[in-house]
Amino acid sequence: MSVSVRGLSYARGNFRLRIDSLEFESGRLTSIVGPNGAGKTTLLMCLGGLLAVPRNRIFIQGRDIASLKDAERARLVSSVPQEHNPIFNYSVLDFVVMGRAAHLSLFSLPSAEDVRLAEESLAFVGLQSFASRPYFELSSGERRLILIARALAQRADVLLLDEPTSFLDPKHEIEILELTRKLAVERGQTILLTLHNLDMAIKYSDSLVFMKNGGVFASGRPRDILSDALLESVYDVRMKIVDCEGQKLILR
Amino acid sequence: MAFALPVVVFIISLNIGSYPISPRMLFKVILSVFSPSSQPGLPAALKDIVFQIRLPRLLLAVAVGATLSVSGASLQALFKNPLVNEYILGISSGSAFGAAVSLVFLGKGFPPQIVAFVFGIAAVLAVLIIARTSGSHIVALLLTGIIVSAFFSALLALVEFFASPYALQALFYWLMGNMSLATWRDLALSTPLMAVGVILLIMLRWRMNVLSMSDQEAKAMGISVRREKILIIVACTLATAAATAVTGIIGWIGLVVPHLVRMVVGVDNRRVIPLSASLGASFLLAADALARSLASFEIPLGIFTSLIGIPFFLFLLKKSRRVWL
Amino acid sequence: MIWKIPTTTRAHSIGRVFLLALLAIFSSVLLKAARGGIPEEKASFKVRDDLGREVSIPQRVARVISLQPEASRILVALGCADNLVGFDYFLNKYDPLFPRLCPRSQNLPVVAYPDASVNLEHVIRLNPDLIIASPYDTHVPDSLQQKTGIPVVAVSSLGRVEKLLEEIRLIGRVMGRSERAAELIAFFQETTARVSRAAGAVAPEHRPRVYLCFWSSLVRTPVIYEPVTIAGGRNVAQDLAGNHSVSDRTVVSVEQVVRWDPDIILVHGNYSPSQRAVTVDDVLGDKRLRSIKAVRDKRVFYTFGFWSWWDPAEVLIETLYLAKVFHPALFQNLDLVKEGNAIYKKVYGIEHGYSILCQSIQCDEWLKD
Repeated sequence: MSVSVRGLSYARGNFRLRIDSLEFESGRLTSIVGPNGAGKTTLLMCLGGLLAVPRNRIFIQGRDIASLKDAERARLVSSVPQEHNPIFNYSVLDFVVMGRAAHLSLFSLPSAEDVRLAEESLAFVGLQSFASRPYFELSSGERRLILIARALAQRADVLLLDEPTSFLDPKHEIEILELTRKLAVERGQTILLTLHNLDMAIKYSDSLVFMKNGGVFASGRPRDILSDALLESVYDVRMKIVDCEGQKLILR
Repeated sequence: MAFALPVVVFIISLNIGSYPISPRMLFKVILSVFSPSSQPGLPAALKDIVFQIRLPRLLLAVAVGATLSVSGASLQALFKNPLVNEYILGISSGSAFGAAVSLVFLGKGFPPQIVAFVFGIAAVLAVLIIARTSGSHIVALLLTGIIVSAFFSALLALVEFFASPYALQALFYWLMGNMSLATWRDLALSTPLMAVGVILLIMLRWRMNVLSMSDQEAKAMGISVRREKILIIVACTLATAAATAVTGIIGWIGLVVPHLVRMVVGVDNRRVIPLSASLGASFLLAADALARSLASFEIPLGIFTSLIGIPFFLFLLKKSRRVWL
Repeated sequence: MIWKIPTTTRAHSIGRVFLLALLAIFSSVLLKAARGGIPEEKASFKVRDDLGREVSIPQRVARVISLQPEASRILVALGCADNLVGFDYFLNKYDPLFPRLCPRSQNLPVVAYPDASVNLEHVIRLNPDLIIASPYDTHVPDSLQQKTGIPVVAVSSLGRVEKLLEEIRLIGRVMGRSERAAELIAFFQETTARVSRAAGAVAPEHRPRVYLCFWSSLVRTPVIYEPVTIAGGRNVAQDLAGNHSVSDRTVVSVEQVVRWDPDIILVHGNYSPSQRAVTVDDVLGDKRLRSIKAVRDKRVFYTFGFWSWWDPAEVLIETLYLAKVFHPALFQNLDLVKEGNAIYKKVYGIEHGYSILCQSIQCDEWLKD
């Protein structure tokens, strides 16, 4: 198993995340869904090592991330944040090269190989011609892609994305999800996403994890666990799953 | 290009001074060091002017100019804020207070540089320790820096009020920032620290790119954010405190020079940091040369850097349509 | 629209009257304070002070506040110590001689502070007829006069002996001690004439070129310092005099001092030895200055210099002292201790004034080899 969680309990203010046991299959794309405040982002941040968790709670590739140094951990798991507020107007390539930090020692500069890997990541997201463009000139869809490229340059086995499609138009939404799918299928990376759009989650994910009130409500393959009753329990709203031209849609 | 500029400005500055020395004469004086016998009859005054007065002063200008610019640039990246300068964590207020304490209580025998340095460091330490309770977040550091600065400024005012007129006289001059009295001893005291700080920061320059992202992103990319932040702050502090202890407070360099550099070469710190050192050294050399040659009296350097720095900066700001930041 | 006055209760109208009365009192107080001038009946003669201000001074000045140490000393010399009702922090704390010159100053209130601020309320409470201020902070005399309504005269000597004598004359006139003032001035002129006559015999090319490093720094120097000229020397910084009208001092560079190559360097000695930031030994040992003639010939001495402006007695002594420094052969019979004490006796009426001064700044050691 690529990522496993055991007995995780994280409290922040009034909110409490409690997960007794959760596994994410390697080489698969898993979507974490649920209502607002369910703890999706918190879980993702714990998995990415961005929130301090005790030992023996979260394991990636069998290694306890709480016992790893930042650079070691970053070589295992990379995170793509939902928000990015740029202050400095780096060129796209300089931006993506930052992703190599985990592989560089304190005083090193990126080598030609690092730059090549960055360019490769940029090509993977289809923006190789953007290398020398300034970041500020990019559209929000393109910025998302660059963030992903940077996380790709990190060459970690696990990629975490928090709401990667929020605020994007349908075209870019599909582009990103196709991309993450490609990563899982072609590169065998373990992808974890949080999504609001249930239709898309169902369409692209190998596994779904439903969260509610800081805990896991249900998890498994879509065809195994999806039901109207489940959705209603999770979202407290009447929903109906319909099949339409081979795709599942949620009516609400 | 980065190396050429300060060298050129250095050579030009070496020719500037109240004592008229023609470039040919200057050349002879320098030669006389390497082969004393080749230049007989050279007035002793010339040698002393060049080697005891001008040279240490210019070298100090290079060191201080580089230090202040690199520190300013590094802290701007670290704090993700282009308005930050090298004194943001309280070094200037701490140093000023230290100099005052030394001049007032320790009197003549004790060089004010030492206590000024100690308190410059102390101020930053205070900031780091206090902000630690809030997790050393950037905003916490900034606010604490402001508070600690204000605290030392208040203490300084208190010391000034009770100080004797003699101590005040000496202090007044120190506070304005000047290199007119730079000696080899001053250089020997402060340059090692400045060099260590600047070299360290230049070595960390790519790291600063990553650190200029949000703390969370930097951590996600594998940087030990707190450790490296503190390392950079320590390097900046040691170097800047050493510079301030010797020359007093010379403002605006750490703010203006990095911006000028970014306007020309972009924001990648791999280029900004070394070029800031180069441009900063040249800038201070030029400012110092002007300060001592424009009038029969010496215009205090701190005033001068503002008078040149600000309008020039505004001019470039207006001219540049490119978004560099 | 007609302005209709609403009907009110009795309480309302009383309240209204009360408010109106308060308003009337308040405005009259404001007006009085703003007037800032002197009631015409007391004005007598006008003087023009150092800042070019025309000030009307009352006929009789009984109570004086002096914010200017030089003026305070002159007042004492003129015998007006009893008229002094307030003075500044410097004479109170840092002048070892003034308590001897004016014993009652121990109990005098201090109204001016190191940051050049003045305690206005205290000043008004003391009800002086005149305030003497320094012309250094150019806006202070006007603002002081405006806020307190008391005439403020700004005077100082700024390194010029003539101006010092004028100052003595002015203060003498204001205080009604013109005779005594004339006496002092005559004594002053006699003494300086003795020196300049003898020094005048020296040919111009043999007059030493002198650099003064004052105010705790190698590079701060007074542009005008006449005792040097009277004693037969030449202040090298005089060349810069054209640039300075009000200001008496300037900041040069070490290089400039080397360029001037003075014959003699005088270090500001009017501090106790532990307070001296720049000492004779510092100058003699400074590598940057070693090519200078004064350093090579070891003609580096202390001199008195300003002591928060001048002390008239000290200036006279300094002139004699400098004569000895510049022309040792000509003045070798000059006994500074004897002459110094005599000067203090004449000016302030105290015994052993010079010896007391020597105790604090050790000026008797300055000419020992």
